[in-house]
Amino acid sequence: MEIKVVGISGSPHRHGNTETLLDSFLDGAKTAGASVEKVVLRDLDYTPCRGCNACHKTGDCIVQDDAITLFDKILKTDAIAVASPIYSMGITAELKGLIDRGQYLWARKFILKTLFFPNEHIIQHKGVFISTAGLSWDNVFDAAFPAITAFFNGVGFEYYDNIIANNMDAYEGIHRHPTALKEAFEKGQKVVAVLEKLKARIS
Amino acid sequence: MPIKVLAFAGSPRRNGNSETLLDWMLGAMTADQDVVIEKIALTDANINPCKGCNACEKLNKCVQRDGMDIYHDKIVEADVILLSSPIYCMGIASQPKALIDRAQVFRSRKYVLKLPVVPPERKGKRLGVFVASAGQNWDHVFEAAIPSVKCFYHVIDINDADISYLMINGVDEKGAIEHHPTAKNDAEKLGKTVIAEIRKRLGL
Repeated sequence: MEIKVVGISGSPHRHGNTETLLDSFLDGAKTAGASVEKVVLRDLDYTPCRGCNACHKTGDCIVQDDAITLFDKILKTDAIAVASPIYSMGITAELKGLIDRGQYLWARKFILKTLFFPNEHIIQHKGVFISTAGLSWDNVFDAAFPAITAFFNGVGFEYYDNIIANNMDAYEGIHRHPTALKEAFEKGQKVVAVLEKLKARIS
Repeated sequence: MPIKVLAFAGSPRRNGNSETLLDWMLGAMTADQDVVIEKIALTDANINPCKGCNACEKLNKCVQRDGMDIYHDKIVEADVILLSSPIYCMGIASQPKALIDRAQVFRSRKYVLKLPVVPPERKGKRLGVFVASAGQNWDHVFEAAIPSVKCFYHVIDINDADISYLMINGVDEKGAIEHHPTAKNDAEKLGKTVIAEIRKRLGL
């Protein structure tokens, strides 16, 4: 069975460092035989979570827009790569806006208890976080990880790996980074191989 | 001379837990007759996310024309700047994140163009307060929000030592904060402390 990989680009900046790194990951996945698709959040029409908690009662979001369509797509995918540059020590408002909209899945899992991802499901669904930062600080990605963890948990994916590259300002762009693009390509290949093996074992 | 207090209510849910905390604090601040408060609900503020175009590094202004045009100037003029947010998915909500990211113009001004954010005579005379609520009870639930909040205050010339925090966890449903044993008192106390401190800084 063909492995499906969806890349979600959370950068407002088209074809910048982060999206280029995501492209490399998706290219790697494609050469390994996966079907790949890239979703650019900037081009979607969705609003941030309203915090109305209506989903805590119904399990559905009262706002039906592109965010829900994207969550539907994610739930039918084997691997997702979520990409965001670091702005002000966190992920972009676009990506945070999407992640917060996953609250209805959280409500289904923990309040209504109508949704449950068994471990067997989770290990067959891999989530990868892709990020770049201008700053050189080693801790520049730290505050992004918890929201990404929440996102992968919400959609029933294992938080499988990070592809992160800091100090972009000094490198003057991802193309001059010594290892990041190659690492992303190889990790794209690898995640597909790992998922194929897992699925073969299970079927 | 008025003490200018600017408060950004970051929650998309009006009058929920984080905004109530903020309101309690602002209420205590108004006890001082010199305090002039302006409160903005970010959900109605028309602040778009940063486009990441970096044009502000050259232009010293943002290329986007939206609500930020007004709030940019208000941020410069204020003596005390409060920001409230609920914690969603272990981070601040996307509306205050958009505000913080749009403060990039101040970062460019300060660190790239090496221009002043506030006039030299007002340096060290600004205070920040971050107010947050979270549904989860975890002690670490606020941790990932703080670095972005610090970025915001640093670029608008408010140092680490001049940022106060009031963060209450374990409050989820609307109104839950009302039943918290200390939150109201903590908010009012901090509001008064901040005004006393800014009075001192401003020599009032």
